[in-house]
Amino acid sequence: MILNRRKLLQTAAGTAAFANLLRGDDAEGILTAPHFKPTAKRVIYLFQSGAPSQLDLFDHKPLLEKLRAKDLPDSVRQGQRLTGMTATQTAFPVAPSLFQFAQHGNSGAFVSDLMPYTSKMVDDLCFIRSMNTEQINHDPAITFCQTGFQLAGRPSIGSWLAYGLGSENKELPAFVVMISQGSGNLSDQPLYDRLWGSGFLPSRYQGVKFRAATDPVLYLSNPPGIDGTTRRRYLDDLGALNTINQREFNDPEIAARTAQYEMAFRMQTSVPELTDLSKEPESTFDLYGPDARRPGTFAANCLLARRLAERGVRFIQLFHRGWDQHTNLPKQIRGQAKDTDQASAALVQDLKQRGLLDDTLVVWGGEFGRTVYSQGKLTADDYGRDHHPRCFTIWMTGGGVKRGLIHGETDDFSYNITRDPVDIHDLHATILRTLGIDHTKLTFKFSGRHFRLTDVKGRIVNEVLNTA
Amino acid sequence: MPRFPLLIFALLPGLALAQISAAQTIEFNRDIRPIFSDRCYTCHGPSSTTRRSPLRFDTEEGAKQKLANHFAIAPGKPAESELLKRVTAGNSPLRMPPVSSGPALTDHETDLLRRWIEQGAVWEKHWSFIPPKSLAAPTVSEPSWVRNPIDAFILARLDKEGIKHSPAAPRETLLRRVTLDLTGLPPTPAELDAFLADNTPNAYEKVVDRLLASPRYGERMAMRWLDAARYADTNGYQTDAERYMWRWRDWVIEAFNRNMPYDRFTVEQLAGDLLPNPTLDQRIATGVNRNHRGNGEGGIVPEEYAVEYVIDRVDTTSTVFLGLTAGCARCHDHKYDPIAQKEYYQLYAFFNNLPERGNAQKYGNSPPFIAAPTPPQQTFLKDFDARIATAKANFDKLESAISAGLKAWKPVRGSQWFTARNMMNQWSADSTVFDGTHLRDLGNNANFSFQDPFTLSLRVNAANPDGALITRAKDEPEGAGYSLVLANGKLQANLVLRWLDDAIRVETTTDLSLNQWHHVALTWDGSRYASGVTIYVDGVPQPLKFNLDYMNQDFRQAKEPLRLGAGLGTRFRGQLDEVRIYRNALPASEIQLLAVSDTLDSLPVTSEKLRRAYLDQDAPTNIQVAWKTWLGLTEDRAKFAADLPTVMVMEELPVPRDAFLLQRGSYERPGQKVTRDVPAALPPLPADAPRNRLGFAKWLTDPKNPLPARVAVNRFWQMYFGTGIVKTVEDFGSQGEWPSHPELLDWLATEFIRTNWDVKALQKTIVMSATYRQIAKSTPEAVEKDPTNRLLSHVPRFRLPAEMVRDQALLAAGLLVEKLGGPSVKPYQPAGLWKELSGGEDYPQDHGESLYRRSMYTYWKRAAPPPMMANFDAAGREACMVRENRTNTPLQALDLMNDVTFVEAARRVAERMMQEAPPADRLAYGFRLVTSRRPTTAETGLLTNALRYNLDRFQTDPTAATKLLQQGESPRAPKLNSSELAAYATVASLILNLDEAVTRQ
Repeated sequence: MILNRRKLLQTAAGTAAFANLLRGDDAEGILTAPHFKPTAKRVIYLFQSGAPSQLDLFDHKPLLEKLRAKDLPDSVRQGQRLTGMTATQTAFPVAPSLFQFAQHGNSGAFVSDLMPYTSKMVDDLCFIRSMNTEQINHDPAITFCQTGFQLAGRPSIGSWLAYGLGSENKELPAFVVMISQGSGNLSDQPLYDRLWGSGFLPSRYQGVKFRAATDPVLYLSNPPGIDGTTRRRYLDDLGALNTINQREFNDPEIAARTAQYEMAFRMQTSVPELTDLSKEPESTFDLYGPDARRPGTFAANCLLARRLAERGVRFIQLFHRGWDQHTNLPKQIRGQAKDTDQASAALVQDLKQRGLLDDTLVVWGGEFGRTVYSQGKLTADDYGRDHHPRCFTIWMTGGGVKRGLIHGETDDFSYNITRDPVDIHDLHATILRTLGIDHTKLTFKFSGRHFRLTDVKGRIVNEVLNTA
Repeated sequence: MPRFPLLIFALLPGLALAQISAAQTIEFNRDIRPIFSDRCYTCHGPSSTTRRSPLRFDTEEGAKQKLANHFAIAPGKPAESELLKRVTAGNSPLRMPPVSSGPALTDHETDLLRRWIEQGAVWEKHWSFIPPKSLAAPTVSEPSWVRNPIDAFILARLDKEGIKHSPAAPRETLLRRVTLDLTGLPPTPAELDAFLADNTPNAYEKVVDRLLASPRYGERMAMRWLDAARYADTNGYQTDAERYMWRWRDWVIEAFNRNMPYDRFTVEQLAGDLLPNPTLDQRIATGVNRNHRGNGEGGIVPEEYAVEYVIDRVDTTSTVFLGLTAGCARCHDHKYDPIAQKEYYQLYAFFNNLPERGNAQKYGNSPPFIAAPTPPQQTFLKDFDARIATAKANFDKLESAISAGLKAWKPVRGSQWFTARNMMNQWSADSTVFDGTHLRDLGNNANFSFQDPFTLSLRVNAANPDGALITRAKDEPEGAGYSLVLANGKLQANLVLRWLDDAIRVETTTDLSLNQWHHVALTWDGSRYASGVTIYVDGVPQPLKFNLDYMNQDFRQAKEPLRLGAGLGTRFRGQLDEVRIYRNALPASEIQLLAVSDTLDSLPVTSEKLRRAYLDQDAPTNIQVAWKTWLGLTEDRAKFAADLPTVMVMEELPVPRDAFLLQRGSYERPGQKVTRDVPAALPPLPADAPRNRLGFAKWLTDPKNPLPARVAVNRFWQMYFGTGIVKTVEDFGSQGEWPSHPELLDWLATEFIRTNWDVKALQKTIVMSATYRQIAKSTPEAVEKDPTNRLLSHVPRFRLPAEMVRDQALLAAGLLVEKLGGPSVKPYQPAGLWKELSGGEDYPQDHGESLYRRSMYTYWKRAAPPPMMANFDAAGREACMVRENRTNTPLQALDLMNDVTFVEAARRVAERMMQEAPPADRLAYGFRLVTSRRPTTAETGLLTNALRYNLDRFQTDPTAATKLLQQGESPRAPKLNSSELAAYATVASLILNLDEAVTRQ
């Protein structure tokens, strides 16, 4: 690994980073001293792909019932751009949620009856009801959420963190990704490897996908017929042969390669140990729900996320697909809520019990919101909702986030934000802040420009942080 | 132990490349501009919008102007130069750059500024904007080492720094190096032997010539061009379905192999379609500008993406040919380089003028695209045409016999004829009267997909201006599926997945008269465009109004029946008859015949219908055979032509599309209108050049343009030395790095132009140099003075590119299937990778030969690139990438040890060891297959021990051996002892995993 000097200088920590180099420690990040006192050491991002309807989960709008099936007033819509799927719709009938809302906890946060477990922990959460984004379609919106830019090519959040902070674990990658398919919309929006890609950062900062397959990490298992002992001997031989070449060429890359093989060998033990849930007590599965026994479910991934957090993995990114309810929303969203509610709550409670919540930031949310008007036919028990970038709700907890807080507010239609808007760049700036990083200072020079996760924007939402 | 004991020198600013002693002259471009650019331009640079004061450091006048009562830069007078005071102002509010915008300048930087001002503050235009000068090779300490001018430039610089060059690499190393570099594959043992045995003085040159003539050369050169051109096999957004650009990819390989001059290579790709009488190949070449991603997601705003495609072209073109980060000027004036935002959109105007849409096709190619038959297919088509001509001539010879026969023919009274060719089904409704409630269920028929051409033909006597005629669609308003209906008196054709945004909906402009029989037909050519629909009334094609012309996904409704007189929730009133469905889009001439209702006996002898009926039914056998042979060949040709590969290309609209400066880069905020032009900081467009892509391409390849030749030779240089002479191969602007050897870069660039942009000659010059032939070993002295080896006192070692890691293993294994070009292939990949991203179809892995093609032919799905390629740092193919990236990760180790590709390759290498070498030489043979050299005694010792260990283990556990040997689809050599073979396979894997095996040294 050869670092160029500008890259070191731009971090204002050149000397210290240089010290890392001397340690020959690839697990270290580029930052050696935090810009702020960190309140979180790691992040678990429970990304809800497809865009959950804020109107049916968290953003209670009682007035809508009176306006049921009436056309959305122009004064609300304000000529905002719509997707091509509904732009030519002749009517925009207001569709109140079919689900019952109630206030919970001391904070009095509204949560619908779709989320009974989440309802019980509202005092642990900080809801941001005033999230908004620039993008109205899945691909650019998810890409924007994960990389700070709507077009492919930029590093993802986890890659920035791996680059900036490195790993706390010598046996696991700094950035792990897990995917689950929701039961709501089976033909839902696809995901893309670029969502955990490293963009223009060196590719070793890319996320490593853990899969519910024989090999949790690609190519992890030895081929049939090669056991651990044989592999160990093989690596000894490989090391010895490489050392001969190392003496000949005096190239530090050779030793570095041997070291990567040793790391690979450690992963062959540490990853199966990590993904083996057989030693988890019964109470764990009671907490996370029966789905947690089925590899590849959101619940199983939440449990793995806790195990990864325990092992110090820096950025744990879950994607749960299936939230794109253009039609048939009431039925589909029940499935999605059931997939995620208990496990999300379990993860937070589990982290809390283990004392991990204090330094783990957990984020739950999707790429945009959904419209108050129905896409397609509105009937007594059915409606659909199109994409809505102007407001949506996410929740965060742990790692320095104020608990029992509701931040931001939308109008009576959950259409426009009326107070404290938070955009994607702000969210990114805030996530980095909890980890002690000034989002304007974690940069990488590429194509003549010092790029950062927050592009040229981003405001730390101090109002939701205990540090403010 | 410190890994880089001396790296600290590299980290101190300026030392690595600009080791400047106090006496040395400060060079503005080398020493000063980078400081201004990186530290000052944001507020005092080319961008008028972000400039905070009149003071600017990007122009000499701006920097040296008199300010209120002082000068920022007073040449020769450091004490009077405000600049120096401000950059050394500690933490005072006066400090520049301000504390808020970054750290203070280093002592070294302020020292450079001081000395530059002392020396008179001599200004220079940015180096890369000054045309390259051909300089004489400098004199050097050791003229005998110099094989060509490259060496003189390299050695002169080493002399200056007091570093020695290295001796030549051993011949085996050199052969492996040059073979990998020029063909992407290592030498075979036979090639090694031949070279080692060749004692003639030009043995090496003969090898170089052989490699440059090999078809593998074109493949190797194309690899990096595909990265730059963001080539891929899928569209890149959302569903990320397949597209077909491989004919362009093959054009690139062919162009390199035929040694197309680089200027022509440039012109044909940027503007092949605008050349006089462009050939098919020249049109295919323009695919480079269509390789960008295309968004077919439902609901996008097309204008937004139409802009993105053009932006992608401009950014890619400027990176690849100009080495400029023009994209920075999309939203505002460039902050570092002289590209105003307006100029950016003037470039944009060259690339926005094609008949494309922002909403790309979700599946397949988006217009404009052309059929692009391969050379064998072109031959086949020519042959087809010849056979058709013969068949027609044979038929024409029978004309008099036909006329005579027709005249004599007495068809049965009341008999009818219609063409039965390609007919799938027909129904007669007799005299059923549809009463507005009635429907006729025609069952599971005519289940067409959106890409299937078809024809619906029927007779209609309508009593009411509304009602469905024939449909295979949901029986509800705006139902999905296809339908031919009467609506408000007009005939409507609807091919619909989603009524509002994924459909072709057209209608006639005049009413169909009621209570009267008409023949009505609908033809659909499967093109996915409204222009592919024709509605006929009584044999006459009707003018159509397009209600919606955006078809993205299949309208097929497999669960619905074909319905007559009903559909979309409506019911027909009146009569329907003679329903016929064809599996092709019948031409107008055939529809005309179907529209004729007269019985055969009532038709005049001149009637085409009568003639066709005669040919079909009553003509003598020889006439029928001649007729059907001709017709059959014509239809076969059409089918063959419909299946030809296509490729997206550039085309010019006859009336140029307007272009506007987009404020903040947004499609929603067009500002002033702009016309096509090139940035003012570069030479103007030649006066006689057309103001279009062709003129632009000619401007790029004009020797007066200072950038393209430099940028090209620098990228080639990077292939051989791991780093460009300008390290920032993508950025020759003021934020780019100063060239390690500016004179060498200029010599190479001018030589490239002088030799008429001869690409092979340039490669040959580089690999023939003594510089290239040095060993890849550093000395402590060299490391101390030049830790990153930018001065090339030895050849850099670097890990092979992803493609070569795999291709080499396949070659050593004897598995590699060499075949130039063709559709992309799907070799091994772990199951489930596609499915878990999208829930849809998983990766359909190929079998047989396709498992063993060169990696550049591996199917590149943008959302889920081939995992081995991604592990080994392959460029992402989302956007242009010209810098080669190399990292070293545990995932690479796991891949090389455990991926079935390499497990199988190891087994096959083992089989070769056992079958092709005597027992005592097996290990050395296998080692040499992979590394191109024999192992040393120490290495042989280790390998022998490893073999013994594994032999023992597999003899103890033969099942383990069997399991290991079953990996991969190629059959194992049956006669070899399993335990022995497994042991050799394990050692072969060890060899394939050596650092040396995956390294070019």
